[in-house]
Amino acid sequence: METRPSELAVAPVEAGGHPPEWALSPHPPLVDGEKSLHQVTEDVVSPLERFPGPAWYAGFLLSAAAFLLGVILVTHEIWTGIGTWGLNTTVGWGWDITNFVFWIGIGHAGTLISAILFLFRQRWRTAVNRAAEAMTLFAVMCAGVFPLIHMGRPWLAYWVFPYPNHRGPLWVNFRSPLLWDVFAISTYFLVSATFWYLGLLPDLASVRDRCKPGLRRTIFQLASLGWSGSGRTWARYETVYLLLAGLATPLVFSVHTIVSFDFATSIVPGWHTTIFPPYFVCGAIFSGLAMVLTLMIVARKVMRFEAYITTRHLDALSRLVLLTSCIVTLAYLTEFFMAWYSANPYERFAFLNRAAGPYGWAFAIMIACNVAVPQLLWFRGIRTSPALLFPISILINLGMWFERFVIITTSLHRDYLPSSWSLYAPTYVEVGTFVGSFGLFFTCFFLFCRFVPMIAASEIKGVLHDGRTPGPAAPPH
Amino acid sequence: MNRYPEFKKDMKTLETEDARDGIRRRQFLEILASSFTAMSLSGCGFRPPKEKIIPYLEQPEDVLPGVAQGYASTCGCCPAACGMLVKCRDGRPIKLEGNPQHPLSHGGLCARGHAGLLDLYDSERLRGPLAHGLPSSWPLVDAEILRQLAGIREQNGPIRILSRTVTSPTLRQAIAEFSRVFPTTRHVTSDPVSSSAILEAHRRTHGERALPGYRFERAKVIVSFDADFLGTWISPVEFTRGWAQGRRLGLERSTVSWHVQCEARQSLTGGNADLRIPIRPSDLLAAVLDLGSRVARRLRFESGEKLLASGEPSAIPPETLDRIAERLVDHLGRSLVVSGSNDLDVQLAVNFINHLLNNYGNTLDLSQPSLQQEGNDEAWDALVSDMEEAKVSALILLDANPAYEHPRREAFRRGLAKVRLTLSLAPRKDETASLVGFVCPDHHFLESWGDAHPHLGVYSTAQPAVAPLFNTRAATESLLTWSGIPSTAYDFLRKYWRENLFPRQKRWEDFEAFWDNALHEGVTLIEEERLKPAAFNLQAMADLRPIRPPVAAGELELVVHPGIPLGDGRQANNPWLQELPDPITKVTWGNVASLSAASARSLGVVEGRIVEIAAGDRAVRLPVHIQPGMPPNVVAIALGYGRWAAGKIAANEPIRKMLPIERESPGGEDLYPFLGTPSVRITPTGQMAALAKTQTYDYQAPPGNGRPRPLAREATPEQAVPEAGPQPPGHSEDPAEGPALWPAHEYPGHRWAMAIDLNACTGCSACVVACQAENNIPVVGKAEIRKKRDMHWIRIDRYYSGSESNPEENPSVSFQPLLCQHCENAPCETVCPVLATLHSSEGLNMQVYNRCVGTRYCANNCPYKTRRFNWFDYAHNDLLQNLALNPDVTVRTRGIMEKCSFCAQRIAEAKARARSEGRRVVDGEVQPACVQSCPSAALVFGDIRDPRSRVARAATSGRAYALLSEVGTKPSITYLARVRDRGV
Repeated sequence: METRPSELAVAPVEAGGHPPEWALSPHPPLVDGEKSLHQVTEDVVSPLERFPGPAWYAGFLLSAAAFLLGVILVTHEIWTGIGTWGLNTTVGWGWDITNFVFWIGIGHAGTLISAILFLFRQRWRTAVNRAAEAMTLFAVMCAGVFPLIHMGRPWLAYWVFPYPNHRGPLWVNFRSPLLWDVFAISTYFLVSATFWYLGLLPDLASVRDRCKPGLRRTIFQLASLGWSGSGRTWARYETVYLLLAGLATPLVFSVHTIVSFDFATSIVPGWHTTIFPPYFVCGAIFSGLAMVLTLMIVARKVMRFEAYITTRHLDALSRLVLLTSCIVTLAYLTEFFMAWYSANPYERFAFLNRAAGPYGWAFAIMIACNVAVPQLLWFRGIRTSPALLFPISILINLGMWFERFVIITTSLHRDYLPSSWSLYAPTYVEVGTFVGSFGLFFTCFFLFCRFVPMIAASEIKGVLHDGRTPGPAAPPH
Repeated sequence: MNRYPEFKKDMKTLETEDARDGIRRRQFLEILASSFTAMSLSGCGFRPPKEKIIPYLEQPEDVLPGVAQGYASTCGCCPAACGMLVKCRDGRPIKLEGNPQHPLSHGGLCARGHAGLLDLYDSERLRGPLAHGLPSSWPLVDAEILRQLAGIREQNGPIRILSRTVTSPTLRQAIAEFSRVFPTTRHVTSDPVSSSAILEAHRRTHGERALPGYRFERAKVIVSFDADFLGTWISPVEFTRGWAQGRRLGLERSTVSWHVQCEARQSLTGGNADLRIPIRPSDLLAAVLDLGSRVARRLRFESGEKLLASGEPSAIPPETLDRIAERLVDHLGRSLVVSGSNDLDVQLAVNFINHLLNNYGNTLDLSQPSLQQEGNDEAWDALVSDMEEAKVSALILLDANPAYEHPRREAFRRGLAKVRLTLSLAPRKDETASLVGFVCPDHHFLESWGDAHPHLGVYSTAQPAVAPLFNTRAATESLLTWSGIPSTAYDFLRKYWRENLFPRQKRWEDFEAFWDNALHEGVTLIEEERLKPAAFNLQAMADLRPIRPPVAAGELELVVHPGIPLGDGRQANNPWLQELPDPITKVTWGNVASLSAASARSLGVVEGRIVEIAAGDRAVRLPVHIQPGMPPNVVAIALGYGRWAAGKIAANEPIRKMLPIERESPGGEDLYPFLGTPSVRITPTGQMAALAKTQTYDYQAPPGNGRPRPLAREATPEQAVPEAGPQPPGHSEDPAEGPALWPAHEYPGHRWAMAIDLNACTGCSACVVACQAENNIPVVGKAEIRKKRDMHWIRIDRYYSGSESNPEENPSVSFQPLLCQHCENAPCETVCPVLATLHSSEGLNMQVYNRCVGTRYCANNCPYKTRRFNWFDYAHNDLLQNLALNPDVTVRTRGIMEKCSFCAQRIAEAKARARSEGRRVVDGEVQPACVQSCPSAALVFGDIRDPRSRVARAATSGRAYALLSEVGTKPSITYLARVRDRGV
């Protein structure tokens, strides 16, 4: 993390730094509305105990329909062949791998917020960490689909695992970055899922405790792993949570570093770049935070969580977005400088072609969305306005998708031999599959809102009094 | 139908008889048993022909299942009649190759020849004779034909046999036999793309209606006026061989020939020329005359100069013509002027120039002329007039499709209706065969006994490699049956050879030994009485004056030419050829209207705009292709497309619908009605068409005024001669060898490598089809090519000089065959997650099909882009076509990567043979399909660890370079730079 914790502090921090003006005395509270502990539980858990409103149903059905569309098109693709996509001999990867890197990038913010900000004692994270982690899981699920279905013979995908087999000397190729991807992504998914589930335990227990005896209670009883709320449980829980946070932190960097190796270790001009690991990690955090913003702005409105996810939270996220945008911009400039400085004609052409070739429009979208638009976030008025932040976050996500498209497709479509140069355009199958991946993502997210406490109530309770005048201690709930 | 009441009656009787005799129990059992036997027999596969045939290398008793055999034979795809070897496995031909012992083709075979194999397995061939469009039987058809012929003979009705050039002396003999029995018979020869003017010109100048033998290998200066002799003209394989031999770099500059091409379109030959001059067709005669008069002036031959002086300035700058004339005169007897024009005046002038330069008897051989083009346009015209006037009683179409392949086909069709007996021997219900009374389908040339006589003194035999697949009958047998002397083609052939050829040789005393040798070698040289051409007749030149064909204002001059893939169109139903990219335009599955950029601008059209091309009441619609090197105001279009009765492939019906929303756009258009039309109107329409091109960027220089990349390199003669000189045509990009991260590969035995001499490669694309046949490469269809998913393992990259932003009007063209480079440091090998691509201990980059999961990462990382992905399960649903599959090569399934294997199956075969004979593999023993087929021997394959191998020696040449060596892939393929002498 290049960011210094003090810059991002919402609550005053013990160790020096310059907290923002408004964070100084009087401390702004992390939770608005003078909530009591019971109220917090009530606010977080009660949506799970009543039937959802029409907005939820509409959203869920729309997402499920998109997901179904994706399932149909992927079935068609696997049944008929990769030829249903628009790829060709020259451009072997198009929207498939673009979507893969895009979703992996989205999946970065969750662990960043839950693990790294936890280690840095950024207490404002409590309002958003649960949802951000869930988002990570769903995004990684979406990402995992693409390498699977981009294979010509996905039914043999298990061959990428180095398991003992009877095929003689056939083994996986440990030199291939695609194999490293398999390990990096599966590890990331497992650790993120464990971390998320661990954090859920106290809240699952809260839900369980409010249930009448019956099936629902049994399910939550099993899911909360017999959480008793005793001091010993809490102490163990805190230790494991800290340990897992430490374990997850390097993964935030490793996953996208390894994804970037898919490109960096190749010899395609425009891919073969040593700057890729930090550039990709930063871009991933950038896009992930933008996605968190998008989701939180909607969720606080729909789930009526304005008191928990305050504009101050949005402001903090926006600052991180602005910082990562600046780093990404620096990476863009560095790439162009290096292409010129290398004096390698193929490298130079790759970057000229990126900006001024047939896909120059994609490059322009990328620059506009990732470099120009985030500069608006220098203004606090914009950072604290959900109505303005929402379109900005969408544009950043669009820009980051185009960044991957620019890297993958424009580098491939014109490489060494001009005789092989070609253009690429997606077919309806690829577009539909991408829509389907959003369908999968939002279907999961809507189910998550409905069945799991969306805000980490137990952690909120811990920060309830931050920035408030101390009152009478509430009885433990 | 109504004209044949008797026949109708016969058919009716037959039907009623059939109906009357119901099937009894015993009969039923018999039929059951026999059909069961037939089924099991057909399951066994294919029968060898019952006569004795001699394998090329092995005796029949050595036949082993699974071991391929080669039979020497003769290619029947065009009258050039190249020698070929038919590779058979388990009784079926699976691959055609050139016969290295043939004195004309020297082991080369063109793309169309290679593709002839698939014509054999064309499921749209006729399965038996037709009478009035309905299936019939041979006895019935023969009886009816004989009855009618007898009637015609009684009335002394004229009978005409129409054919393209017949190269088979036995078939000519059969025609003679027929003519003896039916004395009113006359044989008319007409070629779709005629060289009639050349023959007629020689009749006038030398007193012999003959086509000279062209000896390109002896010519040091070649001037060609619109003769595409490396691509489509007369005998391209033979000429390519000679041309390439003449360009071989020796120790001296003077040994390399200099080739000038003046042409009205960008042809393959023009692309290979040292100096290419675009001229309009209307300027051609003036240019030839101008050159001739300059040659005569230099030779101080004033009367000759006067004869040729036209007084009209030619389109070629005088200083250029002077320089060409000077070089010609410097090489008296070692130069060659040719023209592909079918204009008599042009050919007369060309003959005169060659006469002045003393080329007759040196580079032009009239004493042993070529017999590959004998078409006579006047005889054809007379035939059509006779038919229209109902002066022909019977017309036998021996091997001709005039209802398609002739500009006067409407007149022919009208005339055909007035002929009493019309019958065709076409193997399919083609455009003409669907108009005639009887179709008596001939065998495919791989099923029939035959011979060929391409040059005086050269006889080759054709052996059937498989028994006829269908109920067809050899043309010789049909003619003999009707002549009343029924004989099998085999017996008649032997008889002809015994009576006519055996006595003329002295080497063999026993006919059987002579015959066995002729079959075994495939070609026999027989001393024949040579022609004795008369002295040059200057009188013939008397009325030579340039008459410019009229070109109406606002019209474009039209060039209609045979294309490289389809030639004159007789093989239009061949998917390999339809999918073969034209080496210049790179367009597949159809023809295009090629225009210069300036003409396109003035017409206001862009590439892909569909335009209407019209002359008189004829009109076709074709997409525009902007072709650099076209002279202004000329449009060039290839022949051979737009056949409506050749079959599904020719009609470009989709091979398989890949995507439900996709529509296949029509293939090419038929330009035969425009053959000979000097000019056309071109009107843009509102429609666009996406051309199915395999290469869409034409320059080695990237856009934006970038420096050309050193891909297909060229050198000047001064740089390249002497060969293996010290100075490479170097480029600073070639790096010094740096330190390696990985340990080097070890090669305990062989290390296979290839050298490609760009100075010999003409881009003819024979290797592309040869590879497709050898390696079971699927055909993907027009829609897939348009998406740039061609599957060819070897492709010919074609670049123009100049750049996209600064295109040259007359660029020089570079060809570069590209196949897997079998890199030592292969970028594909490191990235495959499942180790599906590996480096072998013999230097091959291997692709393990059944391990591949299809991530396509290897293809992305291949800087040469030679890997091919199976996007779909490509059609293998034509069961008949599947018989052409090579059993030594896996048919790939969908979702996996494939690429050139250096024909690993051939390496394995050669190694096994060497091991069983207890020796090492000798240099040249392993020949991948591309190497074997190359007419110019531009490709050399061998073990680079053996310093004496040809490939190792080629790699030490001063012209040698590795493609993209700066990437550090260390390819196993060495390219040798092309040498071009642009000097004027």
